Amino acid sequence: MIEALWHNIDYVACVVLFCIGLYAMIAKDNLIKKFIGLNIMETSVFAFIVALGVVEDGDAPIMGSGATPPFINPLPQSLILTGIVVAVSTTALALTLIIRIHKQCGTIEADELREME
Amino acid sequence: MVVLAPLVGAVLTPIVARRDRRIAQWWALGIMTVTSVAAVALMVRVTEEGPFSYYLGGWVPPIGIEFRFDEVSAFIGIVCLVGWLAILYSFRYTEWLRGLEKPRIPYYYTLLLLNLAGLIGISITGDLFNFFVFLEIISLSGYALVAVSGERIAEMAAFKYLLIGAVSSLLVLLAIGLIYALTGSLNMADISARLGGAATRPLGVAIGAFTVGFMVKAALFPLHIWLPDAHAIAPSPVSAVLSGLVVKVGIIGMLRVYQIVYGSGSMNLDGLNQVLMWLGAISIIIGAFFAIFQDDIKMMLAYSTISNIGYIVMGLGLASQYGLIGASIHVFNHALIKATLFLGAGCLIYRTGKRTLTELAGVGRSMPWTAAAMSIGAISIVGIPPTAGFLCKWYIALGAVQAGQTFFAFALVFGALFIFIYYIRMVNAFYFRPPADPEILAVKEAPPSMLVPVLLLAALCLIMGVLGRLPLTFIEPAVTRLLSGMGGG
Repeated sequence: MIEALWHNIDYVACVVLFCIGLYAMIAKDNLIKKFIGLNIMETSVFAFIVALGVVEDGDAPIMGSGATPPFINPLPQSLILTGIVVAVSTTALALTLIIRIHKQCGTIEADELREME
Repeated sequence: MVVLAPLVGAVLTPIVARRDRRIAQWWALGIMTVTSVAAVALMVRVTEEGPFSYYLGGWVPPIGIEFRFDEVSAFIGIVCLVGWLAILYSFRYTEWLRGLEKPRIPYYYTLLLLNLAGLIGISITGDLFNFFVFLEIISLSGYALVAVSGERIAEMAAFKYLLIGAVSSLLVLLAIGLIYALTGSLNMADISARLGGAATRPLGVAIGAFTVGFMVKAALFPLHIWLPDAHAIAPSPVSAVLSGLVVKVGIIGMLRVYQIVYGSGSMNLDGLNQVLMWLGAISIIIGAFFAIFQDDIKMMLAYSTISNIGYIVMGLGLASQYGLIGASIHVFNHALIKATLFLGAGCLIYRTGKRTLTELAGVGRSMPWTAAAMSIGAISIVGIPPTAGFLCKWYIALGAVQAGQTFFAFALVFGALFIFIYYIRMVNAFYFRPPADPEILAVKEAPPSMLVPVLLLAALCLIMGVLGRLPLTFIEPAVTRLLSGMGGG
C-alpha cells in the first residue's frame, strides 16, 4: 500500500494539493483567499495532467539532429498550456469582480457580505 | 463556419462599433443571422444524410480536431433562435440598464456573441478537450454577463457563480485527463472504441467527475445554489440565454459521456442512472417548492429552471426510450418556454421598474400582450395539453412507466402540481388582483423590438405543442442509436 503510494508520489501530491485548495475555498471567508484556494486546485489538476505525460528518462520532445527517443508526451503539456490561459482569464475576471464588490460594499469578507444582503 | 462566424464577429464587435455604438447591435444581429442560416443548412443535411463530420485544418482524427454533427447537435437550432431573439431584445434593454455605461455596450454584444459561439461549438465538437475549451468560453462570458446588470448584489452573484463554475470546469478537466490517461485519445469516437479494455475503477472516477462537473453546470440539486441569484440578477435577455441554453450544456455533456461509455460497452451505468433519477426527482420538488415562496418574479423563474432541469435529468436517468425522448424534447421546449418567460419578465421590469409579484399586480390590464405571452409560457411550463410543455412531460412520465418506475411518474405529476400553484399565482397577480399601485395601470405596452421576440416565442410554445413531431424526427434516431449501445434498454 505504502509502496504503491510512494511509487505514485506525484499523483499523491496532486490529490493533497487539490484538498488544500478545496479546504481554502470552503473554509475561508475572505474572497481573495477563497480564490487562491481555487487557484491551488487548478494547479493541482494541471500538475496531474502534465504528470500523466511523463516518461521515465524521457527527453523534451523537440525534434532536431540530436533528438533521441524516448520522448515525454507533449500533448498533455500543450493541453495544459490552454488550461493555464483559461485559468489566467478566470483569475482576471474574479479579481475584477472582487474589486467591484469592494467598491460597492466596502468589504470582501463573505460573512459580512451575507449580513449586508 | 457556424462556430467561426460568431467567434470572429464577437472579437470584431468593439472595433466595428468604435464610431457609433448603434452599429454594434446591428452587427451582432447580422452575425447571428448568418450563423442561423448556416445552422439551418447543417440541420437539413443531418436529417437527410445522418451524422457527418468536418475535420479542422484537414487533419484526420484522432490527431486532428473533429467537428461532428449529429442529432444532439440539433441543439444549435434552438441556440440560434433564442440567441437571435435575445440580441434583438437587447437593443432597447441595454440602453436602459443602469450597470452598463453607454460606451460599453459593444462589449456586451461581444460577450453575448462569444457565449452563443461557445454554445454552438460545444454541441458540435467531437473532441473532448475542444469541448472543455468551449465550456470555458461559455462559462467565462456567462460570469461577466451576470455582473453587468448593475443590481446591487450583481457582482456577488457573479462571483459565487464563478467560484462554483470554475470548480466544475476543473472537475471536467480532471475527468478529461483521466480519460486521456486511460485511452491515449481525446477524440470521442476514438475513445469509445478504445475504452473496451480499460480498467473500470479510474473510469468510474472519471465518469463521477464528469457527472459532478456537468451537474453543477446544469444546476441539479444539491449543486444548484449558484443559480437563483445569478439568473435572477442578470439582465433579462442574458437570463433567457443562461436559463434556456447555458444550463443545458451540462445535459449535453452528460449525453456525450453516455454516448462514449455506452458505445464502448465497458461499464454498466445503472448505479449512476439511479442516482440521477433520484436527484432529478428531488430537484423537481425542491425547485418548485422554493419557487412558491418567491415574490420576485425573476427569482421565481430561476427556481423553476431548477425543477425543469430535474425533469430532464430524471428523463436521462430513466434510460428508457420514452424517458430519453422526453428529456431531449424538454431541452428544446424548456429553452423556448423559459426564454418567453424571462423576456416577458424583462418587458414588465423595463416598463414598470418593479420586480415583485405584489407590486406588479394588475399589470395585465396595461400590458395585455406581454401578460398574455407570459401566461402562455406559464401554461406551457405546467404542461397543460395544447402547449409545448405537455409533450415532454407526457413522454417522461411514459418513460417512467416504461422503466417500471411508477413512483417517479408520481413525483413528476406532484412536481407539476407545485409548478401549477406558483404560475397560477403569477397569472392571478397579472389579471385578477387589484393593482397595488395605480401607476401600474398607466404604463405603456413594451416597445416592438422587445415585444416581438416575446410574442414569437410564445407562439412557438403553442406551435410546438401541436407540431410535436418536428423535434421527434431529430431525436428518435439519436435515442435509438444510444440505447442500442446498451443492449436494447
